Amino acid sequence: MFGSISFDAMHSALDALSLRQRVIADNVANVQTPGYQAKRVHFEDALARAVSSGSGRAAGSITESAEPGRQDGNNVNLDTEVVSNIDTNLRYQLATRAMDGKFSILRAAMRTS
Amino acid sequence: MSIPPISGISAAMPAAVTQPPQTMPVSDGGAGFGTSLASAVDGLQAMQSTSSALAIKAVTGDLSDVHDYTIAATQASVAMELTATIRNRAVDAFNEIMRMQA
Amino acid sequence: MGTFAAIGIAGSGLDVYRRWLDAVSDNLANINTIRPTGEAAFQARYIVAESIDNEGGNSGGVQATGVALGSAEGRLVYEPNHPLADEQGYVRYPDVDMSSQMVQLIQAQRGYQANAAVIDRAKDMYSTALTIGRN
Repeated sequence: MFGSISFDAMHSALDALSLRQRVIADNVANVQTPGYQAKRVHFEDALARAVSSGSGRAAGSITESAEPGRQDGNNVNLDTEVVSNIDTNLRYQLATRAMDGKFSILRAAMRTS
Repeated sequence: MSIPPISGISAAMPAAVTQPPQTMPVSDGGAGFGTSLASAVDGLQAMQSTSSALAIKAVTGDLSDVHDYTIAATQASVAMELTATIRNRAVDAFNEIMRMQA
Repeated sequence: MGTFAAIGIAGSGLDVYRRWLDAVSDNLANINTIRPTGEAAFQARYIVAESIDNEGGNSGGVQATGVALGSAEGRLVYEPNHPLADEQGYVRYPDVDMSSQMVQLIQAQRGYQANAAVIDRAKDMYSTALTIGRN
């Protein structure tokens, strides 16, 4: 019930998306800091691999973007961050809905009859 | 065609009738349900204490992901409902059986 | 910070970009502040920003670690009729370039707005997390 692969996968997704949100905030806060390299959170591939090998647990990993920087060495692209921010939010809502759905099904099953 | 005469009841029959009826093995099933309900209640305790601990971490700013708390709280709540439902059904079934025997 | 980390991080951004806006506004307001040659010119202010490094995974953001001052020499301009002019008729103007300050103003404003938008979206996300199980 609570330990199924899909339940773990949703929980892992929420963890990683929350991390991604924090990393995006960090990038945007440092959009003008000289020498700052934008960070990215990788997670979707790791989760797909984990699920196909029977586990729902995967962790997000942080890497630095290799994109070329501007004159002061900063390579944060504000447009990329904005798009990523909106995308992360929507995915988080999706994972929340999926997790909530599991609980609703259990509750509905108990209340019938 | 000749119909054979009805033979007398043999002496072996009454022995079978006077044997006490086989009792159904109720004790095993009863213990099984009791232990599973007890372990469900234990699990519920664990879930509720986890949920409380996470709530405290959340309000002291120590929790890194707020969804950890809401998921744990919902798990505890659903488990509580499940335990209550099982108990209610068991009580209903018991009452049903008592009514039948009266 | 801590539980709602993204909001705290973006908040640090708001702080630094506001200081930057303040510094640029001050520089622009004093772009024509004349001083006598005996004194230092009005020095432009620049905010030195550094990223806050990640100890333990939940911190981040940016901080203003100091203020850099522009050139104290400024530009010597020949204005013999000015009351503060020296014997040769020179006064000191600040070494502040209007166009580069305007560029900085736009950058600072963009940075400020971007961080405000992050706070808004982070708030939405944390609110979503709080709806799990609420039915």
